Amino acid sequence: MSLSTSLSSALSGLQATSRASELVSTNVANALTDGYGRRELELSARSVGGSGSGVKVTGVLRVVDLVLLSDRRVAQAGSAGAGVTVDHFTRMESAVGTPDSSSSLGQNIENLEGALLAATSRPDSEPRLADVLEAAQGLTAQLKDATDAVQDERARADDRIARDVAVLNETLMKVDILNARILRQVTADRDASALLDQRQQLIDRIAGIVPVREIARDNGEVALVTTGGAVLLDGRPAVFGFVPVGLVTADMTVDTGALSGLTMNGRAVTLGVSNGKMEGGTLAADFAIRDTHAPALQAQLDAVARDLMARFADPARDPSLAAGQPGLFTDGGAVFDSATESGLAGRLTINTAADPSQGGALWRLRDGLGAATLGSPGASRILGSLQEALSEKREPLSGEFEPGERSLAGLASDLLSRISARRLDAESEQGFSSASFNALRNDELAMGVDSDQQVQQLLLIEQAFGANAKVVQTIDDMIKLLLGM
Amino acid sequence: MTVSSIGDLARSFMLRNQTTVLKTELDRRAFESTTGRVQDTGRAVKGDFTSLNGIDGALTRLAAYRTSTSEAKTFADGMQVALESLGDMAQTLSSTLLLAASPGNQTSLATAGRDARERFDSAVATLNSRIGDRSLFAGTETRRSALAQSDVILDALDMAVAGLQSADAVSAALDAWFSDPAGFETVAYRGGPPLDPIATAPGETVSLAATAADPGLRETLKGLAMGALVDRGILLGNVAEQAHLARRAGETLLGSASPRTELAARLGIAQERIASAETRNAAEATSLRIVRSALVEVDGYEAASALTRAEGQLDTLYAVTARLSRLSLANYL
Repeated sequence: MSLSTSLSSALSGLQATSRASELVSTNVANALTDGYGRRELELSARSVGGSGSGVKVTGVLRVVDLVLLSDRRVAQAGSAGAGVTVDHFTRMESAVGTPDSSSSLGQNIENLEGALLAATSRPDSEPRLADVLEAAQGLTAQLKDATDAVQDERARADDRIARDVAVLNETLMKVDILNARILRQVTADRDASALLDQRQQLIDRIAGIVPVREIARDNGEVALVTTGGAVLLDGRPAVFGFVPVGLVTADMTVDTGALSGLTMNGRAVTLGVSNGKMEGGTLAADFAIRDTHAPALQAQLDAVARDLMARFADPARDPSLAAGQPGLFTDGGAVFDSATESGLAGRLTINTAADPSQGGALWRLRDGLGAATLGSPGASRILGSLQEALSEKREPLSGEFEPGERSLAGLASDLLSRISARRLDAESEQGFSSASFNALRNDELAMGVDSDQQVQQLLLIEQAFGANAKVVQTIDDMIKLLLGM
Repeated sequence: MTVSSIGDLARSFMLRNQTTVLKTELDRRAFESTTGRVQDTGRAVKGDFTSLNGIDGALTRLAAYRTSTSEAKTFADGMQVALESLGDMAQTLSSTLLLAASPGNQTSLATAGRDARERFDSAVATLNSRIGDRSLFAGTETRRSALAQSDVILDALDMAVAGLQSADAVSAALDAWFSDPAGFETVAYRGGPPLDPIATAPGETVSLAATAADPGLRETLKGLAMGALVDRGILLGNVAEQAHLARRAGETLLGSASPRTELAARLGIAQERIASAETRNAAEATSLRIVRSALVEVDGYEAASALTRAEGQLDTLYAVTARLSRLSLANYL
């Protein structure tokens, strides 16, 4: 019965075209959906008993370039990690202050030096002595602000780590569940495209956190591995552990146990080593900020504070001071103690002997902090030698500065230069990684839904549908003819 | 990759990225052309702030030195004027006294004595003069007058020479009193040790160490006081010895000219050094500012033309965006 075979062929054509139009409408509807893989209908000729009889829908193809996707994810992690690092150094640079900002460490040191010089010229002038005190207070305030900014930065990194770890754990669990559902769909020979879209979106969520690669397993399941080799998901999801602390102070480190490290399935993961298992995304970048970059900056700030204290506590400069007495700058009233250097920059205060609001007197700036009685109002020797103390070249005693003698301003300048150079390095690294991310992302999006193409497709479908319908009608006419005979 | 189609999102992604890049550029150029300095100082100095901070520090210091040199200049000028008027006084009085000391000139001796007395008063007042409420010749005790009231000094001298019968004895007693730490330095001089050198330029100081206790000024005061004692009735009744004392006073004043001039010369050198430091500081500040502007300032013309260029690019990008978004096959069906 070849007429009925023709009829059934035409009907299969109608079915295929309506299925195709369904896909076009889905594609157009999802033209703006992120992570949506464009669907294409797979057709093949249907044959019965060796001869052709219509068209068969063999499946729905979800168009996605796995290599491209994987490269894009790795680039995304690099770009996001570099972004976090750039932001960190940018904020630190402005916390320490560049010479053009209204308040910078360098400028405060200059102010103190200028105030001391002006006071040397008129040591009997109370406003000038008050200027010296104010400039000294400005300097301690700047050091404290910078310290607060550094520790805030660590606390924020700690927060972000906690959030990243939570996202990571939740996402891995969801991907695992989706894996199972996809497995059921695929084994039942049903279309799993929508679930695949969902899974791709989920994995994209963690792509910025760690550089993740997807490895295909049987029946549509995937395993997730970082580029460093940590298995995030393979059959079962890894569980990451991290405890945020909220408030971070200079003396808190992972070594003392005050800050939490990262654990994976209960075992500690080392971060911050090159080629480490979790390196490359925001997670590692935040750990680097919290445990390496910010503490190094704090150590340098402390070294500047220590240098400042030592310059002003020299009995050769201020003969009224006994050895072992704090100078103009004190560690909360006490002398410098190398055991508690960590966080010194945040604790620096002005010697109360010179501060009228704390029971001291301004004339002690002129006559010596240890002076018991008022001296000559015109004596400028101590003020002059304190000014010299600021510009005297000294070897920094801590903070991992390059060896070499510097003035206090030179030391502060080196500190700023170091941050700024790191910021520029990070920026150029971010430039590279975001350029490569953008290029890959652009290619990936180019694979997505093109509405012009879909409309074109729709025109074809319309034509094919019309032709098939015409065939049905013609065969119907032919059958009627036969029956009417 | 064979390109069969280009996804809608790809185009908007690309346009969005380019808009961001252009807008950032536009912001930067707008900042630079309105402020005249680079937006990212760290990048402008390639992360090395050593020279920029060095220049800023030097400029701050030079500003402070400008204050201290101008103050030192005022101070030294005031001292020089005082020394000049002291010199005039000493010179005039020494000739008056020597003239009056010639024999048999009793009335002019009394006049010269009174003259000496008044000039002693004004010399003390001159040495006690202040500039900006700062005592000129009191050393570090800038708030106190350099010398006690002239009456107090003369009273102490009266006591020191009481009962002496010859001009030589009186003169010797005055010599002793003026060099005795318990005499002049305790009773008359109320100031402190000389001022510490004043910084006028980086690593350069000027010493304005003259005080009323300086030997040159002390000698002048001694001569004036000797003359003034005649007026106060010392050696009364012994005209010859009084005339002798007046001559000694005149001679002492003449002799004080040389150490006083030396003092004035030292002060003159200091003034000259202050002035040259001032000039050099100003020149240094100017050249530092030029170097600084080369480091962190932008060329106004370049910034403005770059701003225009970025603006034009952004304009074009918007036009392209609008055109492309109107292009859709669906519109033609």
